[in-house]
Amino acid sequence: MITYELPGQHVIAAHLVLDLPLSAENRDREGVATICARTLDEGTRRHPGEAFAEQLETEGAGFGIDVSLAGLQTIIDVPASRLGIALQLFAEAVIEPEFAEADVRRHVQLRLAEIEQARANSAQTANVAFRAAVFDPTSRASRMNGGEPETLAGVTPQAVRGFHTAGFGPQGATLIMAGDFADDPVALAEAAFGGWRNPEQARAPQPPVGSAEQKSILVDRPGAVQADIRLGGFGIDRKDPRWADVTVASYAVGGAFLSRLNAVLREEKGYTYGVRMQFSPLRTGGSYAVQGSFRTEVAVDALAEGRTLMDIRNHPITANEVNDAVAFFTGVTPLRYAAADGVADQAATQVLADLGDDYVDRSLAALRAVTPESATAAYESLVDLDRLTLVVVGDADRLAEPLRTVGYSDLTVQDAMSQASGPALAGPAVQPTGPP
Amino acid sequence: MSLAPATLLRYPIEEQTLDNGLRVIASPDHGAPSVAVNLWYNVGARHEEPGRTGFAHLFEHIMFQGSANVPSGQHIALMQAAGASVNATTWFDRTNYFETLPTGGLDLALWLEADRLGSLLDALTQQNLDNQREVVKEEKRQRYDNVPYGDVIERLIALTFPAEHPYGHTTIGSMEDLNAATLSDVAAFFRRHYVPNNAVLTIAGDVEPADAFARADTYFGPLPAGPLPDKPREDPMPPLGSDSGDLPRAETSAVVPAEAVYISWRLPARSTPDFDALDLLFGVLGHGQTSRLHKRLVREAELAETASAACMGLIGGNSYGFGYARARDGVTVEELEAAMLAEVDSLAEAGPTEIELLRAKAQYERHWLHELARIDSRADTLGEYATLLGGPHLINTRLGEVHAVEPDQISSASQDWFGVDGRATLIYRKDQG
Repeated sequence: MITYELPGQHVIAAHLVLDLPLSAENRDREGVATICARTLDEGTRRHPGEAFAEQLETEGAGFGIDVSLAGLQTIIDVPASRLGIALQLFAEAVIEPEFAEADVRRHVQLRLAEIEQARANSAQTANVAFRAAVFDPTSRASRMNGGEPETLAGVTPQAVRGFHTAGFGPQGATLIMAGDFADDPVALAEAAFGGWRNPEQARAPQPPVGSAEQKSILVDRPGAVQADIRLGGFGIDRKDPRWADVTVASYAVGGAFLSRLNAVLREEKGYTYGVRMQFSPLRTGGSYAVQGSFRTEVAVDALAEGRTLMDIRNHPITANEVNDAVAFFTGVTPLRYAAADGVADQAATQVLADLGDDYVDRSLAALRAVTPESATAAYESLVDLDRLTLVVVGDADRLAEPLRTVGYSDLTVQDAMSQASGPALAGPAVQPTGPP
Repeated sequence: MSLAPATLLRYPIEEQTLDNGLRVIASPDHGAPSVAVNLWYNVGARHEEPGRTGFAHLFEHIMFQGSANVPSGQHIALMQAAGASVNATTWFDRTNYFETLPTGGLDLALWLEADRLGSLLDALTQQNLDNQREVVKEEKRQRYDNVPYGDVIERLIALTFPAEHPYGHTTIGSMEDLNAATLSDVAAFFRRHYVPNNAVLTIAGDVEPADAFARADTYFGPLPAGPLPDKPREDPMPPLGSDSGDLPRAETSAVVPAEAVYISWRLPARSTPDFDALDLLFGVLGHGQTSRLHKRLVREAELAETASAACMGLIGGNSYGFGYARARDGVTVEELEAAMLAEVDSLAEAGPTEIELLRAKAQYERHWLHELARIDSRADTLGEYATLLGGPHLINTRLGEVHAVEPDQISSASQDWFGVDGRATLIYRKDQG
């Protein structure tokens, strides 16, 4: 258990992190972890059915879940004065969920509808196609976290209960709480979780993830006005000694507002609302990609230009670029950890990626040690321009031939309906409109 | 069950007005060595001229294209190199610009903001305008045109307000109008709206108020005030259908995965007690897992894959409320609409239960506390309450106001605005792809 006392943070964030990787799912029932997590707050033995959520929301609490390859999190946010009762409810959802037949079946149906929505969404389709293209096809990482239609068919109430019994238990579980506590958080946690026992809990290993063969894929979206592009490959995790170096290098190439990529493709040419390059770490291994959405007319030009800008052989990372990147990452850190949810979220990430409690301090020290030479060398060791995997989601009639002409002769065209994932769209987009 | 909010807020807030009319708000918080600089300009999509929809937002992009002493793109580049998170957004009622960074960068942030407020037009070129016009058109494609149901908000607004009404168009605007924008439009818009006396500067975080005011005066003090622009019309429009009796209704179709029903309402402006009452009512109708729409449509009847409702508070005479649901496979939009309306009608008829109201208030409390938890979003809320509402101090008493809303206020506001059949409906059908 880890607690962070943060004066003035009136909303407490509590994360229960389970060392339960998605690779623990039965291959034929992938999605069972997601359905299990989503059904936790649909009723408990003590508060069956809607009574649970009603009680929780009446206390002003919000319940959430996070399903990632390395493990599951259940999350509660609640004003400090109501933490005690909220933690009791939180523990009920984790330890003794009802898993009513109708609730499990409905969540499977809602997940299938969510997949349909994702398949209709260009960016989500690109993300799913990219992970499938870049990770070892036998690895769990290559497939959607929430399961595919074929595997969801096997996610029955019985399968969900079985997954919960084998996977949810106090061994390997970490409770993280952050905020301005009104009462002793350890005592409250003891009262809520102290009696948790599960003799049937089975621990699952965290298998490493491998890479796939390089490939070039165009997912057809007839008539699309833009093409979503992902160009990248297999990457590294945060424990790799090159992590700080490549964080700096990728910020210079495609992270900053005036990065090499965004300065040209957005600010000079107006091809896109924004393009970025990012390394996305897993617990072991990871991926990297340049990504952006470009109007169809210029997408192939943007891709060619982007690939050129990714090539730093004759344009190594400069001292100014290193200074700016280090100043940015060290500057945004204190704000990120000033609020309870940010602190708890980072602590959970560290548990899931097995990074240790002092990770933030170590990573800042590693950033400050980056030199132009080390950043350039790390980038060049990882970004192999001749073996980049390409995913384009767009209008194949207008894109396939031009892509082959500029060198992607291995391009295969897929139908959009064979692809999918991620969270479904919300309703009407009513966020403010902003620039970068 | 208590009637008072569980949390008492005492954020320190001080306000001064510079000689040129710029309002400056300081709210110290030494919890982290960071400071939030946040500027609200009292200009948004509702101030746009006919034929120039989307202009306030396009203009916001131009604000990053350089000023007398700052090259194009360098505002963000310099801020990021000082460790800042930086951005801006445009909405119906306002435009905000903000950066949050280590305290040592405060002078640079203020200097950059003041330089563009003082001298944007010195750096304005056709090339910058053309480039950002393309960027904004890409934004429109990415966020609206290339997204399923991306046209819903535009269609709903068109059903809810007349086209010439300040709220009759979206902030992203139309491609046609974006294409039509000229350099002289940019210059005129800047002169009309971007004057210090039409803005609020909030400095929150690791700086004492006296220091914040002195620095604000150093950088913004020399800028001259200007004439304030005319206000757009703010006369409240009555609920939909109350003038002609016809309720707006439209159908559209596209290649989408599921059919959907959207309902919208004209509501009173957000500064009114009626709006607070309706905001809680919409929470009961469609916010969260225990809301009426989710419970009945998603959980019990299994008609919808998702269903919710919300209010969008606006200051110009009216606000806007909406509810929506997407149909499960095999459910017709007619069944879905009937089920939604049954929930609306029963809530209008009998009002929320005591426990539902308590729950809506408790959920409001958590969201409000969360909004104020970080100096960046706290600064933004201070600027919002100073620019659009009764003043920044209200953020400390807001929870008390919401908790004080009584059931009879809800039923009266509901009768006037919600339960009058005064709504617009958009039916979204599925084309076969």
